[in-house]
Amino acid sequence: MHLLLLSLLIIAAGGIVPVLLLRFFPLAKCSAAILTTLGCLIGLYSILTATHFPFSISWEWLHCCALTFTFDSLSRIFLVPIFLISPLAAWYGVGYFSQPEKSLRVAVNYFFFALLIVAMVLLPAADNMLSFALTWETISLASYFLVMYDYHKESTRNAGYLYFLFTQSGALFIFAAFGVIFSFTGNLDFAGTATLPEGVKLVVFSLAFVGFASKAGVFPLHFWLPHAHPAAPSHISAIMSGVMIKMGIYGILRLYFLLAPSSLAIGQAVLVFGMLSGVLGILYALSKNDLKRLLAYCSVENIGIILIGVGMGMIGIALADPVVTIFAMTGALLHVLNHALFKPLLFLGAGAVLQQCGNGRIDQLGGLMKRMPTTGKTFLLGSAAISGLPPLNGFISEFLIYFAAFHALGHSHTIFILAMLAILSLVVIGGLASFCFTKVVGMVFLGEARTPEATAAGPVSLPMTIPMTILAGCCLLIGIFPTTCINFVHLGLADYLFFDASVTAQLTSVGNNLAIGCRLFLLLLALLLCIRRLFYHNKTVTQGPTWGCGFTGGTPRIQYTGTSYVRTVVSIFRPFVLLKESKIRLQAIFPSRTTYCNHVSDIAEEVSNRGLALPLLWVLGKLRWIQHGNIQLYIGYILLTILAVLLTLLI
Amino acid sequence: MESLLCFGLALLTAPLFPGFILKVKAFFAGRKGPPLLIKYYTLGKLFRKGSVYSTTTTFVFKLGPVVTCAGAILLLLFFPLGSRSTVIAFQGDVILLFYILAAGRFFTIAAALDTGSPFEGMGAAREALFGTLAEAAIFIILILFYRMNGSLSFAEFFAGVQPISLTGAAGALVPLVIAALFMVLLTENSRVPVDDPATHLELTMIHEVMVLDHSGPDLALIHLGSYYKLLFFASWIALLICPLDPARGLFNLPFFYGTVALVYVAIGVVESIMARLRMNLVPQFILTSCTLMFFAAILTMGYLQ
Repeated sequence: MHLLLLSLLIIAAGGIVPVLLLRFFPLAKCSAAILTTLGCLIGLYSILTATHFPFSISWEWLHCCALTFTFDSLSRIFLVPIFLISPLAAWYGVGYFSQPEKSLRVAVNYFFFALLIVAMVLLPAADNMLSFALTWETISLASYFLVMYDYHKESTRNAGYLYFLFTQSGALFIFAAFGVIFSFTGNLDFAGTATLPEGVKLVVFSLAFVGFASKAGVFPLHFWLPHAHPAAPSHISAIMSGVMIKMGIYGILRLYFLLAPSSLAIGQAVLVFGMLSGVLGILYALSKNDLKRLLAYCSVENIGIILIGVGMGMIGIALADPVVTIFAMTGALLHVLNHALFKPLLFLGAGAVLQQCGNGRIDQLGGLMKRMPTTGKTFLLGSAAISGLPPLNGFISEFLIYFAAFHALGHSHTIFILAMLAILSLVVIGGLASFCFTKVVGMVFLGEARTPEATAAGPVSLPMTIPMTILAGCCLLIGIFPTTCINFVHLGLADYLFFDASVTAQLTSVGNNLAIGCRLFLLLLALLLCIRRLFYHNKTVTQGPTWGCGFTGGTPRIQYTGTSYVRTVVSIFRPFVLLKESKIRLQAIFPSRTTYCNHVSDIAEEVSNRGLALPLLWVLGKLRWIQHGNIQLYIGYILLTILAVLLTLLI
Repeated sequence: MESLLCFGLALLTAPLFPGFILKVKAFFAGRKGPPLLIKYYTLGKLFRKGSVYSTTTTFVFKLGPVVTCAGAILLLLFFPLGSRSTVIAFQGDVILLFYILAAGRFFTIAAALDTGSPFEGMGAAREALFGTLAEAAIFIILILFYRMNGSLSFAEFFAGVQPISLTGAAGALVPLVIAALFMVLLTENSRVPVDDPATHLELTMIHEVMVLDHSGPDLALIHLGSYYKLLFFASWIALLICPLDPARGLFNLPFFYGTVALVYVAIGVVESIMARLRMNLVPQFILTSCTLMFFAAILTMGYLQ
């Protein structure tokens, strides 16, 4: 426990030291990275070895409010990715921030980085409304400043503004939920929440769900993600997407366990939101042409998968079905951990591509596997993992959720239909994710370079490649040793759920079986590779150009592009994706130059633009006259307000 | 022991059956057709050759055939190929197997894109789309099987306490499954009317165009993988038609392989009497099988409580 506090202190120091060492740019970067690593390692050690859970820390603040933090089994699961990813991101930053003239900006970035980590470590432990609100707001503000790194660009400022709007209005909903709880229990503790009337629980959960969903990026409150991620530096995107948005998931889980509602509706609603986010997230990801925007939408998809698991687990709790509950919840939690491994890996890879090629437009890259081999190989592995392919980690968590969903097929009609839809969405998500990531790998890393920028790319520095390699290694390890990870994550539910011994045994046996399956697959692969090598022994292997089906004048520009690769599937799902195409086809005998241009807009963004933002702007535009710049009248407003307040108090 | 024997037998005989398809097609065309063992000759020829690699390609290109073939072999390990036991089985193995098939597809597509050829890109896009749709159809079949049988393992489906078959419990739904499964088979194994393995124009190909650049042992591995995959789907249908009789022991094998051969003949007949579909009709073809299975799954709500 004291170790954990020590680690937080060291991490905080890692934020302050670079600001002091501003003039010595490399030293400032390295000191931040070293201190963050040290702090995170101590933190990781303290939570992995801690035997007595839960334990709490508490102190008085402003002489009237108590700040209480309790670390229990669930918060432990959410702390692991924070401590794991943060040092890797910090080291990546050492390689990524390469311009000494921006040293002030970099130091400030490291300051908010450290602040974000400390707040994220404290949030899963927050034990009353005040500490929760405080850490939640710190996370929002720190991440806002991290996104604004390139503040001189207009697109970044717009993205930051959108993010700020989302995170603050989301917080309002959460505080509203807290207000409702407070009005019933009369104190700031979470303790009495379970005693609320059933109807009030629903209100509290729906209010808070809006707030948590906007942080997590659940459809339809997700569209700050595809704006904020391309704007932020890549390792910040990695932290935000891999770790920070999971705080929304944590909030949903924690509140659900606190409320302990008996109604089935909450689980069903969460499940439906999960399916929507999953399928639509990956569809939009598929249609995007910007590398980081695509990855941002893919986070929406993964949050969808996690919510499918969480929703299934809630349904299991309401139905008192231990198999569904344990498998779905464990699957969801494991996916939280898995997504925190492969998504940062992909974002770091995207950052390396951005640094080398100067842009992230998928259709203008190509052939990077030969120019940046480490980035390419780790990115390929991360892509396979995020598509849920065995023998990697993404498959293990998806399998557990599948298992729970199949088990839920045995229940009554509504649950049967929902479980069937959940399985189908998982299948569609899996298929489209493979589609999406073959597009990314194929267009960015394979084939020939399409532009001079891509031709000029070279390998990135060691501080950038080592974090990627470590993350790729973790993805493979979880795939080969699933039992340990499943059991570790499973323990995260120990403080909240009753464990049936037979279900726990079943979970372990499923883990062992998956291990056998995955290892067998790897073994077969190795065996076939050896056989292949035998067959190629002493054979003539020649090199030549790609077979162009008789056409020999091909240039890299005639390669299939990402847009053409996904066009058919995007047009199949047209009602959900707003696809605008403008094209000039071959016409007449002497055709003019042909062009094709398409744009896919997000249905949620479009609707909220037209239905909410524009009307709001119109109404507020009518009130412009209040803001006229005349100081005397402003003072008049103040006087009037005070008068009004006094009058209402007197009456 | 018995299961290993059957597994080995399947590994050896898989290249034989596509010969039946060619014979049937030749019969319909009034030709004599290639010898039954043609695929063995092809494999032998390919394994003896060297390879030509495009200068554009990387290691991903060489990984594609190996992953596909390993995945297909793993499929057969989990399937009761004429014996009442499988080499290995566990609850939930079907999900693993279809995800391993998806892994094979992922790396085949990546290998195709690795060549930088526009034709292979086109084939890859089609394969990715049709594969996703076919996977959805397969999982609805699994949902139905879970409702009928309560398990998630091929060994339990066909060799468990309550095997699924035409004559078993809820056998009325099985014809629907067979029809849907046959459509999935045609899609997954790139047969007419979805894809034409014998077409001569690259623009109209799906799977064949993706492996245009592979040669020698690499191509042999791809062919071998596709034979195993086809055998797997054919045996799946065969076991639905002709269940394994516990009393017959190893004498199940002739019945099993007889039915499998019939399925191959059916494929040959379909290929002879049908033209391939227009590319934009293929998604509808696969979705038909999805709809069939969805209908069957909804039916189980009524009488399988």
